[in-house]
Parts: sequence; C-alpha cells; structure tokens
Amino acid sequence: MKSIERTWKLNGTATTLRFPAGRRLLDLLREDLALTGAKEGCGEGECGACTVLIDNDPAVSCLIPAGQLPDGTTLLTIEGVEKKRAGRVLQKAFMETGAVQCGFCIPGMVLAAYALLQRNPKPSTAAIRTALAGNLCRCTGYVKIIAAVKLAAARLRKTSSTPG
Amino acid sequence: MSPPMNFDLLNIRFPKTLDEAVAFQADERTRGRLLAGGTDLMVQWAAGAPPPQRLISIWGLPELSAIRVSKEMVEIGAGVTHAFLRDCTDIRAHVPALVAAAASVGATQIQARGTLGGNAANASPAGDTAPALLVTDGMVMLASAQRFRTVPLTAFWTGYRQTAAQPDEIIAAFLLPKKGRSVERFRKIGTRKAQAISKIMAASRIRLHGGTIESAAIALGSVAATPIRLGKVEAFLAGKKLSRRLVEEAEALAQASVAPIADIRSSAEYRRWTAGRLVRDALENLQ
Ligand SMILES: Cc1cc2nc3c(=O)[nH]c(=O)nc-3n(C[C@H](O)[C@H](O)[C@H](O)COP(=O)(O)OP(=O)(O)OC[C@H]3O[C@@H](n4cnc5c(N)ncnc54)[C@H](O)[C@@H]3O)c2cc1C
Ligand code: FES
Ligand code: FES
Repeated sequence: MKSIERTWKLNGTATTLRFPAGRRLLDLLREDLALTGAKEGCGEGECGACTVLIDNDPAVSCLIPAGQLPDGTTLLTIEGVEKKRAGRVLQKAFMETGAVQCGFCIPGMVLAAYALLQRNPKPSTAAIRTALAGNLCRCTGYVKIIAAVKLAAARLRKTSSTPG
Repeated sequence: MSPPMNFDLLNIRFPKTLDEAVAFQADERTRGRLLAGGTDLMVQWAAGAPPPQRLISIWGLPELSAIRVSKEMVEIGAGVTHAFLRDCTDIRAHVPALVAAAASVGATQIQARGTLGGNAANASPAGDTAPALLVTDGMVMLASAQRFRTVPLTAFWTGYRQTAAQPDEIIAAFLLPKKGRSVERFRKIGTRKAQAISKIMAASRIRLHGGTIESAAIALGSVAATPIRLGKVEAFLAGKKLSRRLVEEAEALAQASVAPIADIRSSAEYRRWTAGRLVRDALENLQ
C-alpha cells in the first residue's frame, strides 16, 4: 500500500494528510481524525449515514477512496456544519420538532438538508423529500424531519438572505 | 463470512490526463481496472468481490468532464456525473430523457459521484441511462493509445455486462444527436423512487407530425441481458396515424416482443405486462 499526501480544506481549515490512497474517506474521518459524526450504517451507499459534503455536494464517504479527492477539495462534516449559522439553526429545529430519536441518521440528514438550503432557501416538501431520499431513518418516519427542515428554512429566510 | 474488505490495500494510480490513462491501459503490465466515481465498484468490493490488482483512477480527468452543444449534437464526457446532467439546463432541452434518467439514479449522494461513463461501462441491464442513450441513435467515443474510434450506441452493449470496448479502451464521450422536434420520455419502475434498482424502465424519442408518427425510437432496460431497442414496435409505428387503436396494438406488440426473466426484483410476467404499458405511456404523452 502506497501512501499519498493530500491537502484539503476540511471544515474550514487547510489540512494536509498522508494515507493509503484507497482508504475510505469514512475511515479516514472516523479513525484517523476522530471525526465520528459520520456513521457507518451499510457501507454500500444505501443509507446516507456516512454523508459528508464534498465541494458543497452531499456524497457518501463509505464509497470514496480518499485519494480520489484532489488537493484543494472542500470537505464539510457535521462537526464543521455545527459551526455555521445555518447548521445551528437546523440543529435547533431538529430538536424543537422532535425529529431526532436514536440519532444515528441525523448527521447525514442535517448535512443533506444544509446542502439543500444553500441551493434552495425555500424548498417545497417535494424538494425536501428528494434531497433527503438518500438518507434512511429507521426511527422517526420522516414526518418530523421534513418539518424540521421547513422550520429551519423559514427561520433562515427571516434572519438573513445568505445562510452561512 | 469472509473478512471485511481492507480498502487500504487498493493499488490506485492517478493519471493526470487522458493520454497518461490510455498509456497505462496500452500495456498489459500497467493496465488496471478503471475507477471513475466508484459507486458500482466500491459496493462490489464491500460485498466481498476481490478487488483487481491495479486500479486507474479516471475521476476528474479534464478530457472526460466536458460538455459541448453544437448545432445538431450534444457531446457529453464520460466522466460527467449524474448530478451535473440533472442540473444542466443546456442539455435538458436536447436530451431530456437522459437528464430524467440521470436524475433517477440512486439519490443525490450517488448522483454526485456516479458518472455516465461508469453507468454505461458497467453494462448492467438495469443501468438507467442506457435506454435514454439508445433512443438518441448516438455514438460512444472510445479512446486508446492508438486512436479514437466511435461505435453506435445500438452496437455498444453486446451481452450481459459486456460492451464493445476493448480492454485497452476508455470511454471518452457520448455523441448524441439532439431531439429536435421529437418528444422524449423516460419512465422508471422501481420499488421506491430513490435508491432502487429498476424493475424495468423505458425511454422514447418519437416524432409526430400532423397526427402521424414520423419516427419512433423506444428502448427498454431490465427486460433482456442488455438494454434493447424495440425495433418491431418502432417499425410498426412509423408512418401511422396516432389513434387509440394504434396505441393498443403497439402495447400488445411490445408485450409479445420481449422475453424478460424473473429475478429478485421482479417477475417475468410483471415485466412483460409493464413493457407494454410503458410503450402506451410513451404514445399517450406526445403533446
Ligand atoms: C446506493 C446506490 C444506488 C444506485 N442506484 C442506481 C440507479 O438507480 N440506477 C443505476 O443505473 N445505477 C445505480 N447505481 C449504480 C451506479 O451508481 C451507477 O452505475 C453509476 O453511474 C456508476 O458510475 P461510477 O462512475 O460510479 O462507476 P465506477 O464504479 O467507477 O465504475 C463502474 C464500471 O465502469 C467502468 N468504467 C468507469 N468509467 C469508465 C470509462 N470512462 N471507460 C470505460 N470503463 C469505465 C469501471 O471500470 C467499472 O467496471 C447505484 C449505486 C448505489 C451505490
Ligand atoms: S454507510 Fe455509507 S451509505 Fe450507508
Ligand atoms: S433517528 Fe434513529 S435512525 Fe433516524
């Protein structure tokens, strides 16, 4: 196994890492960097629990050999979203609407919702459902999760024109 | 139970250009399995399939990422992602069935990494973009160290998970005639809208003029070892006046001309019946 070096903007900070090129992004985050917000549900791209944002797009970190992310890639995990205002507004909305039960799916849900709200500040219910279709929840039944995203969207629209 | 896959052991090369990539593929000693978005390959290894000795990452190669719209054609690089196709309004006007197919792949996370070239090369009969590519009567461009060559898409899928690409060739792009006045449609039938491999899907490109069908291209996936065009149905429709009767006959002909198999996703009967319904659906939505 040959190690390679990459420099990414990880949660806002330039970060240089050495790792075997095939190492899954999920393992790199959880094992090497102790960023354990991304969860491994299925390991096959189906559940979305390992979702992170790569250059603002949600992607499943269990299917990505980390070496495929070139220098300069912007990576955002739930640990970084927490520091953004839109992230905190989403967090609060999830709590207030009772959208969290066991919590396993929630980091992925919040990241997918965050990416949606960056692109579409006033999403319809259908748009929210589509944006979260790759994130499975075994507990909540989704109704409150969708309500939480709507609530967060409304609050963000009220307080500023650019979520961030 | 086999031990879990150790992804750290994957041997991946990162060529910076298409020239470097085809040079690797030209020599058997350096040739590797091409790795694009990895959304098919990584799953296979996670599920226990042994990974190949060498991988050549083509993710992000600039030569494979381009989109060009000319007077009559749309050229789409093999490395273009489903997410890009989904969001690209330039392309939607000219190959709307392909855009709809890309938007139906997996969910947003899979669309962000999965590529059009990977979907075609994977050559699964359930690959969603294949029927939409087929109805364009376009070409696939293959690159090797020697040359570029084009193959008609109708001759590209040669068998179950087999294509006309040689071991040293990389899919570079798809050259697709614009739909012009034709109407395109894509329908996918799966267990749920997202993250579901299709039970059956259809794409069509049909040109209607004054109530008469001038030309019809209809393709189905998941009803045979490869994605297929419904040549008999197309020939039957060409030149005929669109009527309720014609739609019924085309539906019956479609059902009679496919021989699907049963598998974990669906039964042969369901697929045959639905093949007919999808042809009806295409003909009933031409306005
Ligand atoms: C959760 C999930 C849901 C999915 N849902 C769908 C779905 O709804 N519909 C669907 O059709 N697919 C689906 N897929 C499969 C997959 O996402 C698509 O087939 C995708 O387009 C594959 O592209 P890739 O770039 O990720 O391919 P990779 O995994 O990188 O490669 C796939 C194959 O193509 C070869 N290859 C890649 N690029 C080239 C090239 N340029 N030239 C020659 N060979 C090449 C590789 O060597 C490999 O054999 C799903 C996958 C997952 C994990
Ligand atoms: S763990 Fe990655 S999608 Fe389930
Ligand atoms: S809250 Fe338990 S999986 Fe979603």
